Amino acid sequence: MSAEIEEILKRYSNYPNVSGIIIVDAFAIPIKTTMEYTLTVHYAALANNLLAKGSKMVQKLDSSNELTALRLRTLNHELMIVPEENFFIVVVQKPCE
Amino acid sequence: MNRILEDVIHKNAATVERITSENTAGYVVADNTANAVAETSFDNTGAQAIVKHLHGVLVTSCQSVIRDLDPTNKLCFLRVATRKFEYLVAPEEYFTITVVQ
Repeated sequence: MSAEIEEILKRYSNYPNVSGIIIVDAFAIPIKTTMEYTLTVHYAALANNLLAKGSKMVQKLDSSNELTALRLRTLNHELMIVPEENFFIVVVQKPCE
Repeated sequence: MNRILEDVIHKNAATVERITSENTAGYVVADNTANAVAETSFDNTGAQAIVKHLHGVLVTSCQSVIRDLDPTNKLCFLRVATRKFEYLVAPEEYFTITVVQ
């Protein structure tokens, strides 16, 4: 499992716009990160919360549908949260335009 | 308040045409203050009410996450990707637009 995580991390770090990657396990504990620790923990907790709300929303709208990704675009950056089976990934990147 | 909305909608009729002619399943425009649907292309009112729910909970919690991380930042756009559709949510000052594709 950690090999696949390493692979994901490597794949995402190859993109030029990426400023940070966090891999968080199912208990909202960050496993791997490229940012500093306190910020990472902060992102992980908030992302976990958001994902829970988001997937509940989607289930309510259509019970056969499920959340595959959440992208928040803000003024300064773009935050992408992707839930996987046992963990989830948070990527912070600079917006293209 | 509703008049502002209608004004905006009339001005953006061309944009709405373009949006609806592409790959979309529909759109919903809701006004923020009353949390009510202003305009939609969906037929069932049940779907409208549910999308209202989505706006109310998810958008506000995303905004609070962003502000929590950086008080000067703000949410510009939100994309919720699911297996069947993608919801593109654009919160503005007075209203929120959601497009489903």
